[in-house]
This record gives sequence, C-alpha cells and structure tokens, in this order.
Amino acid sequence: MKNKSAISRRDFFKAGTIIVGGIAVTTALTPVDGLLFATERPAGKGKWYGIGIDIDKCIGCGKCANACKKENNVPQEPFYFRSWVEQYTIKNDGTIIVESPNGGIDGFKQSVPSEEIFKSFFVPKMCNHCAKSPCVQVCPVGATFETAEGIVLVDENYCIGCRYCVQACPYGCRYIHPVKKTVDKCTLCFHRLEKGLQPACFEICPTEARIFGDLNDPGSKLNYFLKNHTCMVIKPHLNTGSKLFYNALSPEVR
Amino acid sequence: MENHIQDLYEVLSKVEGYVYPNEIELNWSILIVLYPYITGLVAGAFILASLERIFKLRILKPTYGLALLTALSFMLVATLPLVSHLGKPMRAYEIMITPHLSSAMAIFGFVYLWYLMVVLLLEIWFDYRRDLVLWAIEAKGFKRFIYKALSLWTTDISPKSVALDDKLGYIVTVIGVPSAFLLHGYVGFIFGSIKANPWWSTVLMPVIFLFSAMVSGIALVMFIYIILNKIRKQTIDMACLDMIAKYLFYFLIIDFALEGLDQIHRIYEAEESFEALHTMVFGKLFFTLFIMQGLLGTVVPLLTLGTLQFYTPREKIRKPIYLIVSSLILVGIFFMRWNVVIGGQLFSKSFYGYTSYKIGLIGAEGYLMAFIWLIVPFIILSFLLWLLPPWKKIDVDHEI
Amino acid sequence: MNNCYLKQLQTVSKSIKTVIAFANLSGNKVFLQVQTANTFIMPQQVKRLISAFAVFIVLFLIMRQVLTPSSFGELGHFRAKAIQENMVRELRYAGSVNCSKCHEDIRANKAQGPHAQLKCEVCHGPGMKHALYAGQFTNGQLPDSLVLYKPGERKDCAICHQLNAARIKIQFDTINHTMIHQIDAMKHNLADTDTNIEFKCIECHNPHQP
Repeated sequence: MKNKSAISRRDFFKAGTIIVGGIAVTTALTPVDGLLFATERPAGKGKWYGIGIDIDKCIGCGKCANACKKENNVPQEPFYFRSWVEQYTIKNDGTIIVESPNGGIDGFKQSVPSEEIFKSFFVPKMCNHCAKSPCVQVCPVGATFETAEGIVLVDENYCIGCRYCVQACPYGCRYIHPVKKTVDKCTLCFHRLEKGLQPACFEICPTEARIFGDLNDPGSKLNYFLKNHTCMVIKPHLNTGSKLFYNALSPEVR
Repeated sequence: MENHIQDLYEVLSKVEGYVYPNEIELNWSILIVLYPYITGLVAGAFILASLERIFKLRILKPTYGLALLTALSFMLVATLPLVSHLGKPMRAYEIMITPHLSSAMAIFGFVYLWYLMVVLLLEIWFDYRRDLVLWAIEAKGFKRFIYKALSLWTTDISPKSVALDDKLGYIVTVIGVPSAFLLHGYVGFIFGSIKANPWWSTVLMPVIFLFSAMVSGIALVMFIYIILNKIRKQTIDMACLDMIAKYLFYFLIIDFALEGLDQIHRIYEAEESFEALHTMVFGKLFFTLFIMQGLLGTVVPLLTLGTLQFYTPREKIRKPIYLIVSSLILVGIFFMRWNVVIGGQLFSKSFYGYTSYKIGLIGAEGYLMAFIWLIVPFIILSFLLWLLPPWKKIDVDHEI
Repeated sequence: MNNCYLKQLQTVSKSIKTVIAFANLSGNKVFLQVQTANTFIMPQQVKRLISAFAVFIVLFLIMRQVLTPSSFGELGHFRAKAIQENMVRELRYAGSVNCSKCHEDIRANKAQGPHAQLKCEVCHGPGMKHALYAGQFTNGQLPDSLVLYKPGERKDCAICHQLNAARIKIQFDTINHTMIHQIDAMKHNLADTDTNIEFKCIECHNPHQP
C-alpha cells in the first residue's frame, strides 16, 4: 500500500521555500523605522531640555511629588504618579529595601534601625524625556511624541489607551488616567515652560536638588551641574537616551 | 471608578517588596491574554489546512473545510477582546488611518485585514464557490439570496472555471502560509521587542508564539473534529486523526524545545533580572507555569502522543485519548499566553518587588467576559457549518 | 500544470494577433465574435473579485481621508495641534517671585534665617489663584478658594525635619556646609507635661525665622 504520509523531495523543497520565504517576507515587512529609531540629538541650535537631580541634596520631603499632582490635576490615589520619590535603605548585611509610601507625598519614616543601616538615600523619579524614547517608538497611532525641544508629550485627544507605551517605559513613568482612560505622564510642565516658568517640581524643591535646563546652552545651570558632578542615568544599557542625569547615583538604584 | 480604586487598594495590600507606584495596577488583563490565544488558534488551524492543500497530505482531507471554517470563526472574534480592552475603543480606527510604522502594534490592523480578506475569505471562497452556486440553485427564498450573494453572483461552474478556482485557491494558500506566520509572528514581536521587560524581551519570542500557535490550532481542529462527529453521529476517519496527532506531536516537540531553550538561556546567562524572575517563576507563577502549562499542557501530551507513535491501541481507546490530549494542549497553550502576558507584569521593572493581578468574575475584563469571547467563535462556527457544510460539498480532488 | 500555463500563454498571444488583425477591419460586432472564439476572457469570478476589492479599497481610502485629523503629520507622526493643547493648562504654582510682590516683608524676614531660599509654596501650597485674585480683596476677608494652607501641625514640619538616616548626610549648601536640622518630631517637646496638650512646633519656632 502506498505510504500516504511520505513527503516527496519536491514537496520538501516546496515546504522549505515557503518557510524560508515566509520568514524573509515577514522580516522585510517588520517596521524598518524601528531599526532606524535610535536617532542622535538634533543638530539645531534650538533648546534641548534635560533634567538633573542631585541625590546628595534630596531630603525626601516629597514636596515635588505633591506639587506635581497639584499642578497637573493628577488623581490623588497612590496608583498614579507623574513624579515620585523613593527611599533606598541598604542594610549592613547587603539587603536592599526600597520604599515609596504614596510616592513620598506624605513624607518618609525610617523603617530600619540606624545601627543596621549601611547607607540610605532618597531618589526622586520622573519621566526621563528620553531622546530615543521607547514609549514614542511603540505608540501604534502617534499619540505620543517628542517635541523639538526634547520634551515627550501625550496627545490625550488621540490616545486610544492601548497601554503599549506603559509597558515599554523602563522607568515606570506612565499610567492610565482612571477617568480619562488615556495615558498620562510628566510633561515637564509644558504649560509653564512657554510662560517662562519652571516646572512645578523644580520650582518647589527646598534644597535645589532638581535642576532643569537647556542642554544646548553652554551656560545653563544644567550644563554646569553636569560638568561639575559625576552623573549617570538609570538603566543606561537600554540605550533610551535618557535626559535625566543623577548625581551620586548608587548602583542599587533601578 | 470607585470599584476600580477599591480593587487597586486590595492589590496594593498584596504588593511584595517594591514596585514602581504606577506598576501596582496591571495594564494588560486577561483580554490581552486572549488575543494572542485566539489569533494563534487561527494561524494553527490554517496551517493544518495548508498541510493538506500545499503539502499534499490527502489523508487530512476530512478536516480541510472544517479547519478553514474554524480559522474564520475565530478570526472574526479576534479583534473583539483587543478593542474592548482599549481605554478609548471608539478611537480604534486610528490604527488603520495613522499607523505609526515604528510600532509593531500598528501593523495589526493591516495584517489582520490582509489575512482575513485576502487569505482566509478568498481561500474559503475559492473552495466553496462551485458549491455556493449549486446550493443557490437548490435553495429557496432568503437562503437562496444569501448563497447567491456569497458567490458574488457568479454562475460559471464549468470544469474550466472550477479548475481556475482550484488554482487560484492554491496560490492563496501559498501566500497564506507566510501570512499566517506574519499574523502570529508579529504578536510575538510585540512582546519580544520590549527591551524594558526582560521576561518578554527575547529574540525567540515570535518563534515561540508561532509554534505554540500551530500546536494550539491543530489541537483545536482535532478537538472540534471529534466533538462534531460525535454530535453528527458520523464515523471518524481514524487515519486522518492519527496523522493530525502525528503533526501535533512534531510541532509540540519543537514548541517545547524552543520554550526550553529560552528558559535555559535565561538561567545560564543570569542577567540583571534573573533573581527577580526566578522568585516569580517559583512563587506567583508556579501553578500556571509548571503545573498548567508545563505538566498538563506539554509534558503529559508529549508523553502520550510520543507513546502513540510506537504503540497503537484500539480505536476505542485512541479517540478519548486524542480528545483529552487536545483539550490539555488547548488549556496548556492558554496558560502559556497567560504566563507571558500576566507574568511579564507581575514583577516590577525595578526588580525589587511583585504586584498581584486582581480579576473579578463580572466586569468588562473579568472571567465571564473572557469566557464569552471564547464561546462566541464556536457559535459562529456552528452557524458557518450550517451555512457552508463541508460534508455536503461535491468532492473535488485538488488536482494541483 | 505546466501544460495549462503554456496553453494560456498560447491563447493570449493568439488572441492579441487576432484582435490586431480584426481591429483594422470593422467595428465591435466582429471584435466580439472573435472574442468568444479563441481569445482570453477575464474569468467571471476574477472579475467579480476585482470589483469587490476595488470597491473596498476605494471606500477605505475615502474613509482614511475623511478621518485623518487635519494637523496630523505636520511636525512628525502626531497631531501638531496637540502641542498647543498641552500648553493651555491651568497654572497652579506661582513661584516665590510673585509672592514677594505683596508679601515683601515676609520675604525680607525669611531672608535672614536658614529658611531663606525656601520657596513660599513649599509649605503654603499652590498660590497662583491667590496671587492673581487675592489682591482684589483689600478688606482682608478672602473667600475660601483663595485662602492658602498655613501648615501648623507637627507633621507638616516633620515632613522635612523628621530624623531619618537618609537625611543625615544631606549637605545642601556646599559653601556653608549646613546640614538640614533633624529632630525626632514624635519625641521633641511633644506635649505639655501638665495638660497633655500636644505642642505645635510653631509655638516655639517661627517658621519664617526658625
């Protein structure tokens, strides 16, 4: 009886071509844009905003997170933050404890007795306004974008609320507004910038731990900060082009 | 919103360690688990049909029409969990008019449309056209109108015309195979290209998704074939079923190998995220990963199907075994999607903690809704089987 | 299968020759006659399919034109109007410069103490509305919406000054090397030993001149 299951050589090659062809077509159709996405800083002379945070100066008062919520109408519940503060406590035995009760808005308590603490510090977090932003890359409709000045904004009238950008952000900066159902995040108080005012969190910081400035301006406070401190970004290996530079960033910080 | 906030406070109380405040709420729910599951079933069912059509496995003939109709029923439902999950579902059309080409999700609209219209519908149309014309002649009233409309008011069923149908259908199937790869491969790419998430970010993700899709689709057709013939009280073509089981076995081996490779690689390289993922895998994800996906969904079917390659019990025993194995695989692949989607959100991107997933029974993203989305394709399939019964087709031996 | 293709090619070439020959002679009637004999006719199902797809594609293109927002694509793959929309939001924080315009005395008082560079709104909350409209109320009776919060409780001071290991080393003024003063707010002079009423920090420490 003829073996019905045998595949002839001809069919095998046919199969092979189809599979390889399929993979080739599939690869060719993948967004080439995505590969070319990691662009350089615009060469123009316009403003190119960046942020500096000095961990040596942050006292963890949480006023920045508070001011941000008040200025930008962010829901008060502890699940939605455009900016928040974390407290890192590294114990003598090497254990790392990270806390952010209500984003630091209500202040911090010391949770570990001083004798056991090796090191402890506060780290304010906010949107890094990445130059090669993965969140902009993955938006399927073009509802988030980077302005010419380097600020990543959200178009809440166009966002479909798919949450892909929330997944793509390595720093956890985005959230879905519970009422609007679209994505929301730090806009660097864009509405204040055009009036010549500083973003709320920078305005309010009591110890000037937050510095905001123009990376293209050699005389700006930010460039002075970068020159005179050893600054790092969080998760540099992801090549997001983060423009949030921390001074005294300890290796435990993620 | 009140209920939602209440749920979030409950999740907050279950947070272990530290998560970014915005990560407390899980973003992609069971509906997003369902989407790759359903498109996977579509791609897999189609591949089974193409095994008959392109790779000339004539023995699979009894399941050819069924596989295509199954693929279509699930395809029609595929977008629904996705769109219903959106924050602004009424804006869903934006993906079609301004797709952002650097986003894998943006090509969804076009890939879906292409696969639905150019591949599935066309192939079914070419396969059924002659029968539609003939059924239109027999039928009366409204049903007659439906058949005529479905045949696009063509009347030519001369042998030459039917031969052309056959040839064109063949070409469509050939195009369909890489299209099926694209349909499900891009879903894998959506996850695999997120560098921020180490549970998702792997080169193997599109390939793993693809092969698990083929496994689930083949298992689905096998399952439906057995159940359907029981309902219709027809004899089951055991040679066909045995062949399906054989291919199920092959694809399952490849799927298992790929998933195993992914994990071995992750364990060996032990990158930054490894400890956090390890704790999650042996903690929150233990039951769904090791028991449901691993043991019940992969190992048990593999051992069973593997044994059947060497030892063939009586038909009376093989049938229930196939039924059980296909059900186990269907459940197992569902949990594979669950482990990828939900698992990728349970751990914090700070690698310092874990959140939890709160899912209710009712609600737009609850168990009931998910169940409904899974049942609707079967309802559509029943309707399609009534409208376009594959067993009433005039047998055409695909000559090409 | 190869024979089929060959036949079709032959048919097509034959039909082209025939058409050219007869087109020179007369009109449509002859042309049609020739067509039904040996020439290539578009199969019925292919014709129907092409029309169906053509209709669909045209409809899609029309919808696309209609639904795409007007300013989309001008500056990049987004609605250019969104930039404007992000600009027109209400401002809540005024900045200390604006506070000093009316409250210069407090600023001068503060300038001599350790709270000198502290912005007013750090403790008093967003003051834009107050800065814009409070000046209209010269009798000193402000409506509730314009009254700013005056922090007086222990917890308000503790937010910055509570003893915390993470604050110990903070030296925010690198020129004078001053550190933020820290105290255990739950212990330091907590309550009157006789009446057990909790003391407020501001009872001993003037917040503008601590």
